[in-house]
Amino acid sequence: MRRLGPRGLDRLLTFALALAAVVWLLGVEGRQGFGRDESQYMRAGERYWGWFEELGTNLAHGKLRQSFTASDIDHYWSDNAPDHPVIMKTLYGLSWRAFHTCTCMGPARGLHPLPIRGRHRTLPLFSRDSTAFRFPAILFAGLLVGMVFRFARAWLPRPAAAAAAILTLAQPHYFFHAQIACFDAPIATMAFAVGFAYWKSLRNPRWGIATGVLFGIALGIKHNAWLMPFFLVAHYLWMRRGDWRARRLPRVPLAFLSMLVLGPIIFLLHWPWLWNAPIARTRAYVLRHLDHEHYNFEYLGWNWNQPPTTTKMKLLRATAPFVETGLTVPVTTLALAAFGAAALARRRRKQALFPESEPEAPTATRVSWLRPGADVDRAPGAFILFQTLGPLCVLAIPSTPIFGGVKHFLTAMPYLALLSGIGLASIARGLAQALPDARAGLRRAAPVALAVVVCLPAVIETRRSHPDGLGHYNLLAGGFAGGASLGMNRQFWGYSVLPMLPDLDRRVPENRALFWHDVLSDAISMYKREGRLSMGVGDTGFGEDGIKRSELGILFYEKHWAKYEGWFWEIYGTTQPAYVRDREGVPMVTLYRRPGTR
Amino acid sequence: MRPVWIAGAVVLLALYETAVALIAPSLAPTDADWAAAALAVRADFRAGDLIVAAPAWADPILRVHLGDLIPAEVAGRLDDARFGRVWEVGQRGAHAPEAAAGAVAFERRFGRLTVRRVERPAERVDYDFVAHWSDARVSRIGVGGTVACATVGDRIQCPGFNYNYVRRQIVEVDTRLREALLAQPVGNSTVVIEYPAVRLGQTLVVATGLHDVWMRKAARGTVEMRVIVGGQAQTLPTTDDDSGWTRTRIDTAARAGQTVPVRFEITSPAPYARHFAFAAEARG
Repeated sequence: MRRLGPRGLDRLLTFALALAAVVWLLGVEGRQGFGRDESQYMRAGERYWGWFEELGTNLAHGKLRQSFTASDIDHYWSDNAPDHPVIMKTLYGLSWRAFHTCTCMGPARGLHPLPIRGRHRTLPLFSRDSTAFRFPAILFAGLLVGMVFRFARAWLPRPAAAAAAILTLAQPHYFFHAQIACFDAPIATMAFAVGFAYWKSLRNPRWGIATGVLFGIALGIKHNAWLMPFFLVAHYLWMRRGDWRARRLPRVPLAFLSMLVLGPIIFLLHWPWLWNAPIARTRAYVLRHLDHEHYNFEYLGWNWNQPPTTTKMKLLRATAPFVETGLTVPVTTLALAAFGAAALARRRRKQALFPESEPEAPTATRVSWLRPGADVDRAPGAFILFQTLGPLCVLAIPSTPIFGGVKHFLTAMPYLALLSGIGLASIARGLAQALPDARAGLRRAAPVALAVVVCLPAVIETRRSHPDGLGHYNLLAGGFAGGASLGMNRQFWGYSVLPMLPDLDRRVPENRALFWHDVLSDAISMYKREGRLSMGVGDTGFGEDGIKRSELGILFYEKHWAKYEGWFWEIYGTTQPAYVRDREGVPMVTLYRRPGTR
Repeated sequence: MRPVWIAGAVVLLALYETAVALIAPSLAPTDADWAAAALAVRADFRAGDLIVAAPAWADPILRVHLGDLIPAEVAGRLDDARFGRVWEVGQRGAHAPEAAAGAVAFERRFGRLTVRRVERPAERVDYDFVAHWSDARVSRIGVGGTVACATVGDRIQCPGFNYNYVRRQIVEVDTRLREALLAQPVGNSTVVIEYPAVRLGQTLVVATGLHDVWMRKAARGTVEMRVIVGGQAQTLPTTDDDSGWTRTRIDTAARAGQTVPVRFEITSPAPYARHFAFAAEARG
């Protein structure tokens, strides 16, 4: 058998790491419920699929233009617009259509957002519809893990690069988002992809074009993409600070031109909803996010639902992304990142990070917009610094909403993991040098062993956190209980009910009149479609009237929902819950049962 | 620092973090712990005792096991001063502020839980304004004069504005539940709630706040309350979105034992979305 060369081995490891990530996520995603947003994206994805289905029909009947009429486009693509662009939702819909196991003609037939006209012929990879919807997001997470390894390999030995890849996934909050059909993990993938391509473009013009294409795709995934140019430009201006000193403007590099031209084109082309009124609808989309409501969110014991007005509260609010990172990322990962930052700070200009790393010595003497990093040191430390701290700093601005917690700056996390990999390589290198020459075997084994040991807590913590990753806090905070004591957010958008479904399903007949609190009807429909809930389970609607109509009701623990518990006390006439779903003793969801019901 | 020491420190940190992650889930109280603790509380519980969880976030689980002993008026209490015996069901070394003062009369561990009973002098409540809400005479004084309000079902409703009523209910102030009287202010008017015959004690404790997290988000207006005890007026601190549940103690020692009218006057320069709530007790 032919021995693998170094490049072949790297390719194999890239694939293996990505595959392991996908397998891990697929293995556990079924235990995680559907949040409000995810269930909407699944619904929208299925509706978008309807457009493609009709497109095929129209094509077959020679009426292709019909699919591109304003009414036809709006019929399918208005769902979840102008909230979010549609690349991921479309992929979710296509994946569902291709890979679900069709029980669509059964009792749940009426629960689909579009009429089901017949049994779907599919490649039934997944038994649950939701897994098929989530599959593209999970693939994106696998892609990110692979990319982090590939990027890291330019600087780091294999064990440290592999550790960086693993530490990317093994973060409880990232892991939570990586398995659901939303956009936060995919946009983290794209932030890394765009950064990766930009970095390569500094000495290779082919990557300049690729940067623009990837940026266009990122724009089609989530609006975090708007921030990417700022962080890249910040690095570029720092890298080319010699131009400023020489009193000449840095040349605009191909990557930025490509982003400027290809980004908007791809964005406009990918979203049919925009086509009917491109300017007005793009404006509506942009304004939707520039003026986004501040949903309720608990941070350090306070309920934040609008921009703070006092200096004290502004300062406290500004700490949110940094404190949340410090209390959610595994502590060993954070410690390694600190060593990584030190290693980058110690690096001398024009010298490689480590002797075996990609060289930083200039490869050209002339300035070129095609290879703008060829005649200078590319400043890897500044690159990682801006990509990591940039998203956190944006979220530190007190006027920005923080309702998503870590997910709002999730794009920083792969770079943070990369920094941890650099820290690990730095420590491992020091250790290997300190070992006597006679212990060659130990010298070779030490970096691998060290990589395994530092990944252990992150993997164990992540496993422990599942399926309640949002409520999990690290060693510094004291886990679920410590996070609750610090007044940190435990959850949002009603996903955490899933482990209670079997119990709710058994509570017949009270469950005919069930108050679902923050669980959207789309999520309830999906639970029923998958057979996790009986068709007879009811939904009494939202708010006080919903509780009045109910015999059984659930309540999610978030600070701002306290009023709902008051309604239960008044309407049911008791303060005694029938059951509390908790994690390590910390309440997540409460079940109230109206006294006197059977 | 020598590289070996750095590597060793990182390895130790990683192993420690791993060990904690593996062990921590087993440190949470079990259902059996809660059941045993509840049994101990029930064995010596007396009417008028307060039962609290420490940390406070464990309160819903506490109520699963002992909720029948924690009625809404106790769970939504004005404060804990009226309770002479406080049962604290604690975990992870935490203590409840309600059980901070007093002598520990009972303490026992039940697995991961510790039950303590703290005993201390309690303030006697001579008159609970929330419980006696139906004694109140409510009116609205505006430009056109005084309008009397009437009891309609569960509230005292004033004519003209459907939101102008006084109702005993569970309110949410500062994301905590309280049993209080909800009385929204009306523009250019004074909402008056008068109790004709209140037996006074040493102090009159009044707690005020704005109900409903969404209403606090929707507006920034302030609310003023004036309390007139037997003809003597006192203005309470202004209530705004950030006031929380503010308690004011009014000294009534000079009139202790007397029965006098007590009048609450509520005004606001910007009454939109101001779901003003208050509770009051005359204490001996």
